[in-house]
Amino acid sequence: MEPIIETFESRKKHMCVKGDGISIPVCDKASLPGTVTQRTCVYGGARIVLMPITDSIHLVHGPIGCAACTWDIRGSKSSREDLYKKGCSTDLHEKDIIFGGEKKLFETILELNKLYNPGAIFVYATCVSGIIGDDIKAVCKKSEELTGCRIIPVQSEGYQNHNKTKGHWIGGDALLNHVIGTKEPEKTTPFDINIVGEFNVAGDLWGIKPLIEAMGVNILSTLTGDSHVDEIAQAHRAKLNIVQCQKSSNYVAKKMEDKYGIPFIKVNFFGLDQTVNSLRDIADFFGNDEMIEKTERIIETGLREVEHKTDEYKQRLNGKTVALYVGGNKAWSLVRAFEELGMEVMMSGTKNGIKEDYEMIKETVKDGTIIVDDANSTELAKLLKKYRPNLLISGAKEKYISLKLGIPFCDFNHDRISAFAGFNGFVNFAKEVDASVSSPVFELTSKTFGGD
Amino acid sequence: MHQNKKFSVVNPSKMCQPMGAVQALLGVNDTMPIIHGSQGCSTYIRFQLTRHFREPIEVASTSMSEKTVIYGGEFNLMKALKNVSEKQSPRMIAVTSSCLTETIGEDMSGIIEKFKDANFDKNLPIIVPISTPSYVDSHVEGYNRTIKALIEHLAVSTVPNNKINIITGILSPADVKSVKDILEDLECRNIILTDTSENLDAPLSESALNLYKEGTTIEEIQDTANSIGTISLSKHADSGGEFLEKHFGIESVSGPMPIGLENTDTFIKAVCKLTNLDVPESVKKDRGRLMDALVDAHSYNYHRKVAIFGDPDFVSGMTRFTCEMGMIPTVLCTGAKSNRFIEDIKIISEEKHINPVILAGDDLYDMHREIKNVGADILIGNSYGASIAEEENIPLFRVGFPIFDRLGAQRISTLGYKGGIEFVDRLTNTLLDYYYDESGYEIKESDKIVDDEIFVEGEII
Repeated sequence: MEPIIETFESRKKHMCVKGDGISIPVCDKASLPGTVTQRTCVYGGARIVLMPITDSIHLVHGPIGCAACTWDIRGSKSSREDLYKKGCSTDLHEKDIIFGGEKKLFETILELNKLYNPGAIFVYATCVSGIIGDDIKAVCKKSEELTGCRIIPVQSEGYQNHNKTKGHWIGGDALLNHVIGTKEPEKTTPFDINIVGEFNVAGDLWGIKPLIEAMGVNILSTLTGDSHVDEIAQAHRAKLNIVQCQKSSNYVAKKMEDKYGIPFIKVNFFGLDQTVNSLRDIADFFGNDEMIEKTERIIETGLREVEHKTDEYKQRLNGKTVALYVGGNKAWSLVRAFEELGMEVMMSGTKNGIKEDYEMIKETVKDGTIIVDDANSTELAKLLKKYRPNLLISGAKEKYISLKLGIPFCDFNHDRISAFAGFNGFVNFAKEVDASVSSPVFELTSKTFGGD
Repeated sequence: MHQNKKFSVVNPSKMCQPMGAVQALLGVNDTMPIIHGSQGCSTYIRFQLTRHFREPIEVASTSMSEKTVIYGGEFNLMKALKNVSEKQSPRMIAVTSSCLTETIGEDMSGIIEKFKDANFDKNLPIIVPISTPSYVDSHVEGYNRTIKALIEHLAVSTVPNNKINIITGILSPADVKSVKDILEDLECRNIILTDTSENLDAPLSESALNLYKEGTTIEEIQDTANSIGTISLSKHADSGGEFLEKHFGIESVSGPMPIGLENTDTFIKAVCKLTNLDVPESVKKDRGRLMDALVDAHSYNYHRKVAIFGDPDFVSGMTRFTCEMGMIPTVLCTGAKSNRFIEDIKIISEEKHINPVILAGDDLYDMHREIKNVGADILIGNSYGASIAEEENIPLFRVGFPIFDRLGAQRISTLGYKGGIEFVDRLTNTLLDYYYDESGYEIKESDKIVDDEIFVEGEII
C-alpha cells in the first residue's frame, strides 16, 4: 500500500486512514529528536489551562525565557480583571542556579502579593527549578501562611513528559489539591453545574453561558475561562460537570467524580446540532420537566435567530475540504460544525493526542479521513502539498506553512478573533471560515507572471 | 499600584539567550538550528518568531524528557544530529544549548565529536555548538555568542578580500536591507553577519518551507578573517569582531547603530575610513532628504516627551535620533543589564541636555511606573507596550521585536538616512493623528476639559 506520505520509517505508524484496519494511529510517543516538533513542554500545558483564571498572578519560577515567550498569549477574555495577563517571573540567574532559587521565589511571591493583592498566585515549576531541586511546595506553603493569599504550587517541570497533556493534568491537580473544595457557596440550587474545560477563548463562554442560565441552571464556576479562584473553590458543590474541552479536562472531571461524586457529561457547543444536543443533554440530566420545556424554547429561538444567516457562506463553502491539525479537542469537536457548512473533513490530527482522543476522532470522522499524530513541520507540509485541502485549521506555528503553500488557513487557537460557541457563534464560525476559503487572494497565488 | 519593586519581573523587556541565537541563525544560508533542551524552548521561540515575521520558522529540538535529563542528553543529541543530517541534509547544523542542558552540564562539543567519529565515513554537515544558557544575560547576548561561535568555528585566513564585515545585531529584515543598500551605494564590498533580509521577508512560494537558499553563506563566514575590518552595528554584538581583531588582526569598530542623522554619519565615516572610499552623491542626497524631513516635521515634534524601550543599542540610537528631532526622551528602558548602555545614554544626555530616567535590566512594569512619574506623549517599542500606551492614553509607535498585533513588522525600517526618513514621517504622522484635529490644529489639554464639561452639563439636563 502506498504510504500516506514519505517520512521516517518509525513515523509511518503515526498516520492512518479511517476505515483501514484499526483506524487509530500510534500515538503518545516521544517525538523524534532533531525534528521540528509542533509540540510544547509540560509547563506550557499546565500554564495554558490555568492562565484564564483572571484574578490570579501566574508566576513562572525559572529563567526569563519561559515567561517571556508565554505571557498573555492565550486569547482568553476576561469580563473583570486583567491580572492574569501579566508576565511574572523570578528571572533565575546563574547564582540562583548555583545556590538555589527558593529565597528569590519567596521574596518574589511576597512582593507580588503586596503589589497586586491577587486572588491567588500560581507558581509554575520549570525545567531548571526542577533540576536544581527547589522545593516549590514548601515555599508556597510558607508564603501562604505569611500572606493569607492562596499560593498554589504547579509542579510543571517542562521536561517531565513528551506530551503536554501531562501538563494539563498537573494544572488540574493544582486546582484539585489546593483550590476546589476550599470554600462553601453562599447558596446552592438543585441545578448547580461547573463548566469544565471552557477557556473563554475569544469569548466562547459568553456564547454558552446565557443559554445555560436561561434554562434555569446555576453556573457555580468555570474551569477556567473568565473565572475567579474563589469561584473554582466552590466547584465541589455542583450537581453536574459539563466538559467542553475533553482533551484537557476529562481528567479533572473524572477526579471530581471520584472525590465528590459529581457526574460529568461531555458537551460540545461548536455547531448548531452539537449545541442543541448539548443543551438537551444537560436538561435530560436534571430531568426537570419545566427545564426541559424551557430548553426546547431556547433551542427554538436560538435556531430561528440564526436561520438563513449562514446561507450565503454555505453556498460558497459547500463541498470544500478541510484539514484539522490541532492540540486535541478540536480534532473531533469541530467536525460536525464543518459538516453543517457542507464541508468535508479530509484530515484530522493532533499534536498531543492520547489513545482516548484518537478513539473520539475515529468515532467522529468519515471513512477515508486521514488521521495523523504528532506530525512535525516537514510532514505537515508534505501532507498539505499532497492532499491540498481547501482549508487548514491549526495554530500560529502552522499558519505560514499553510499560507506559503497557498492553502487558506484559520487560527482557531490563541489568535482566534471571534467566538464560535453556541448559536450565534456558529454564524461567526461560518463567516470566518468563508473569509479564508473564499478570499480571492488564493486564486492569485496560483498565477505566474507570464499569466499562464 | 505601581510602587517600587525589587525581586519580581513583571512584563519582561527581554528574552532568553536561545531566542537571540536563533535570530542570528535565521540569517545563515542552508543551516538548521537545533535547540538542545525541552520541546517548549524551540516551540515557544518559533511561536514568537513566526507571529512577528509572518514566515514559517524552522527550529529543531532534541526533545529532552525526564529520562534523558537523568541519564544525560547524549542519546537525544546524537539522534537529532543523525536525523537532521539524513533528512534535511543542510550544509551546517548549529546546536544551541538551553538552561536545562547547561544546568545538567551537557558536554555538547564532546557529543558532537563523538558523533563525527562514529560517522567519519559520511559526508556530514558542519556542526557548530553554541553555549547559550538562558539564565545568563538576555537574548542580546545569545545573538552575540552565536555570531562569535560561527566566526570562531569557521573563519580561516587565506587571501585579503577587500571587504568589510558587518555584524548587524538583531534588526528587522528591512533594516538589514537598508544597511546593504548603503554599502552598495558606497560600492563597499561586504559580508553581512547575518543576512536575514531575504529569509525573513520571503516571497509567497513553496520554497520558503525549505532550508534557506539566501542568507550569509558558510564561505562568507569563513572569509571574514580576510576582511579589512568589522563594524558591529550593535555594541552588544561585537564579540565576533573582537575575536577577529585578536586572532587575525582585523580592525574592529563597535557601534553606534546607524539610527538618525549623526549615528548614520558616524557609520558611513567608519566604512569610508576602513575602505578609503568616498561618499557618493547619491548618499549625500539621501542625507539631505533626511535633514529635509527633520525640518519639515520639526514643529510637531518639538519638546514632545518620548519613552523608548527595546534592545540596548536600538534604544540608545533612538534616544539620539529623537533628540535630533527636537523631542525629549524621558524614560529609556532595556531589559539587558548593561553598563555600556548606561554610559551611552549618559553621553547623549550630556550632549543633548536631557535628563531621562535610565532603566537597564528592568521590565515594563518599571517603565510604566516611570512614565507615570515623568510623563510621555508617545511610546516607542514593541507590541508589549500596547497596554501601557492604552492606560496612559498615548500612542504606541511599534518598532522592535516582537510585533504581533500589527502587520509588516519585517518591513519596518529605521536605519540609515532612508530608514530615518521613513521613521520621521511615520512618527510625526502618528503624533498628528493623535494630538491634532482634522484641520491641523493642535488639540490643547484645555479643549479636552471644555468638551468634558459640556458633556457633564448635557447629562444633568
